[in-house]
Amino acid sequence: MSLYEWLLGVHITGAFLLVGGIVVTAVFNVFAGRTERPSDVALFLRLQMIGVVGIGVGALTTLVIGLWLVHEVGYGYGEFWVWGAVLLWVVAMAAGNIGGRSQAAAAQLASRLAAEGDAPSAELRAAVRDRRANLLFVLSGSATLLVLVLMIWKPGA
Amino acid sequence: MLAVFQDTGSEKVALFLHILGAVVLFGGTVAVATLAWAGVRLPDRPLLPRASFRTLLALVIPAWIVMRIGAGWIESAEDIEGDPTWIGIGFIVAEPGLLILLLATGFAFWWSRRPTGWQGRVVAGLATLYVAALAVAWWAMSTKP
Repeated sequence: MSLYEWLLGVHITGAFLLVGGIVVTAVFNVFAGRTERPSDVALFLRLQMIGVVGIGVGALTTLVIGLWLVHEVGYGYGEFWVWGAVLLWVVAMAAGNIGGRSQAAAAQLASRLAAEGDAPSAELRAAVRDRRANLLFVLSGSATLLVLVLMIWKPGA
Repeated sequence: MLAVFQDTGSEKVALFLHILGAVVLFGGTVAVATLAWAGVRLPDRPLLPRASFRTLLALVIPAWIVMRIGAGWIESAEDIEGDPTWIGIGFIVAEPGLLILLLATGFAFWWSRRPTGWQGRVVAGLATLYVAALAVAWWAMSTKP
């Protein structure tokens, strides 16, 4: 296998980990939002960490190997699809990170309530279904989807 | 902005659908494997079998269909000569994959009716097996050996 083939394989593996991780976190977020018992909410938000690890590893791999691939193939860093994808990557990571802080706070609240009797709580329901956090997750997912669009169509290449 | 996409061929739409379906399929199957293994360890949580079943039915199988439609569309839009190994690997993973997913869905439904049963191990095993098969497929399809 050539260096290009290795880089492409690792880059696409990173993309699967990144988008797959987003899907995993979204699935557990939906289930956490539909559950009333704090111990169940805490469980789903703990399981969500598997997706978060995938996002972290995938995001770093796609960016580093992607930029290496641009150099290896001979594309220019000034081409629209390259800098557009980097910009969208930054937006996706920032939005996901800010939304993720709200989820981490909700997970802490769920664990505390689970230890204090495990009774359903309006405060926890509001924290898990936080509109701002969910909008940030939608923004993050949409930006990642647009990166995929740029990678396939390569406008400006 | 739209002008930069003007050279869009149908094969690019097909490729987008194929990749989108594949990544959602991967993420959904990882979620099912996670739910199933957690359910095996925590048999007192009946919501885990139900969540496994719903994820398979509402996300994983639709994603497989989108991935497969994209693959068929690419195959008809592009003129790929011969019978390359990487396409063969893709089909080997895709076609029996549906059977694995349907079996997992059936066992997940059964498990959701008997949350303390052995069915959870079968769902977890099938989902984990399919995650590994998908990894082999995406590596083969991206590096094209």
